[in-house]
Amino acid sequence: MQPAKGLRDEASARQNGSISCNAVIGPPSMSLADDPPKQKSNEPMRVKSVDYEVPNRFTVLGPLKMLVNPVAQLTSTVMDLIGLISVALAASKLLFVKKRRGIFMALFYRQIYNTGVRALYINGAIGVLVGTLLISRLFDYIPNQVMEDQFGYLFMVIVFRELGPLISGVILIARSATAITAEIGYLRLRREFQVLNGLGISPVFLFLLPVFFAFPLSLLLMFIYFDLVVFLSSYAVIWLSNPNADFFALLSAILSQISLNEIAINGLKAVLGGMMIGVISIHFGAKVESSFTEVSDAISNSTTTQLMVFFVINILLSVLAYTQ
Amino acid sequence: MTGTLILENLHIEYPEVLLFDRLNLQFPAGSLIGIETDVLDGATSLLKGIGGMLSDIDGRSILNGHDILTMPASERARKVGFVYENEGLISLYDVFQNIALPLEFHTDLTFAQTQSLIDATIEALNVPSTLVWMQPHELNDVQTRLVNLARALVMSPELLLIDELEGGMPDDMIDSTMQLLKGKARKDNMTVLLTSSNEHVLREVDQVLKIKSNQLVESSV
Repeated sequence: MQPAKGLRDEASARQNGSISCNAVIGPPSMSLADDPPKQKSNEPMRVKSVDYEVPNRFTVLGPLKMLVNPVAQLTSTVMDLIGLISVALAASKLLFVKKRRGIFMALFYRQIYNTGVRALYINGAIGVLVGTLLISRLFDYIPNQVMEDQFGYLFMVIVFRELGPLISGVILIARSATAITAEIGYLRLRREFQVLNGLGISPVFLFLLPVFFAFPLSLLLMFIYFDLVVFLSSYAVIWLSNPNADFFALLSAILSQISLNEIAINGLKAVLGGMMIGVISIHFGAKVESSFTEVSDAISNSTTTQLMVFFVINILLSVLAYTQ
Repeated sequence: MTGTLILENLHIEYPEVLLFDRLNLQFPAGSLIGIETDVLDGATSLLKGIGGMLSDIDGRSILNGHDILTMPASERARKVGFVYENEGLISLYDVFQNIALPLEFHTDLTFAQTQSLIDATIEALNVPSTLVWMQPHELNDVQTRLVNLARALVMSPELLLIDELEGGMPDDMIDSTMQLLKGKARKDNMTVLLTSSNEHVLREVDQVLKIKSNQLVESSV
């Protein structure tokens, strides 16, 4: 049987000496246990140079580099994010042109629908679980009288201040931010940013701005929806144990605890958190250059960074605002 | 003269790869110029370089007295059209929205005006009207290139750069498209630079150049 044409050509080229000794024939990675390729008698002797590199960690610079590199990487990412935010703010002036605003609004509504509206199902489901779990646990630990008196305060401290923003943010990251990173990575792979530049349209306008504005608004909607669902499911649990529980009394107990300050802090969490989640999605998606594997790396790095940044923002704001 | 394209010392070089060495050429307005192309000979980069879509290149690409390479992006988009050999559409939008996008962004046309302009262009290109509501991923290569061409033509550019339009097209479609381009070029004083490896296309243009030793020289085709 004749070998395939490609193999025949390669064999004959080899005999003619027209393929260099360095041409890769076998699998690119060969373990130490593999036999070394045998030298053909008619080929010139190959001398393989072996570099005995001293691993970085054993040199004086090694530990220093291990310390400096992550800091340098973090600094570079922070600078990139600040750059992206300023670019987004600068590109916002394009929204003053009516026709361009039309293009933006279509994408903005699409983003709000995908992020803020379609997430209501999962946000609601988690809200129900949290509400029932929270109240059933509280009933176990806190005397009924205290519970009735302090329901509004407990709800505000646990759900409104902390759980609502945190869980909504995690849902936004898991559900929408990963999708944005993947989408941007895919657009980069297809060179669509270059196409837009060729059309004289900034990719920042088309891809960053809608996310930049829609994510904070979506997050705020998710906060409100989550709080509402947790309250309703809490009431359902309370009603099961006490059918005389007054719905409006419980609601007014919560509302009386929510001051303007609480609303402002939650608003700030939504604006800062949503904006940072959106910008980080775009940042990591836009780092994709030529391979699909970069998309999964981008999603992984983006999600990790978003979780860190979002939790830091939430905790910092809570500590600053609520520490007596 | 409207549409006259002058290349002054246009130099395109990637790290360790010199593509074009200080090109000095002039193309009259209303002419169709063919660049005979081969695999990986840098013709696409040349078109992108001339159209101001590459960064870090030297020289000038002067269209009607204005250097394309230093032009603001929106002005460049109105004056220079580019037709990609592959893809080139925005996957976020359907075909109609892709064609309408530069019109929406750069002109003050109403939606009705935009729609009638797009309808007239796709009709002239013999593109089925049902195609405009399709998504980019539903198009084949030829349809994708025709949509790219339609998007460029609706802007009535002074310079149209086309990268291998003909791949996969039957001869009669090549003929009708070339006649349309010729007519538009003459009527609107639009300069058309196209790369092609197809003799059928190159016979239809006013001048054929080929890439040789990092220069553009006259071809015998």
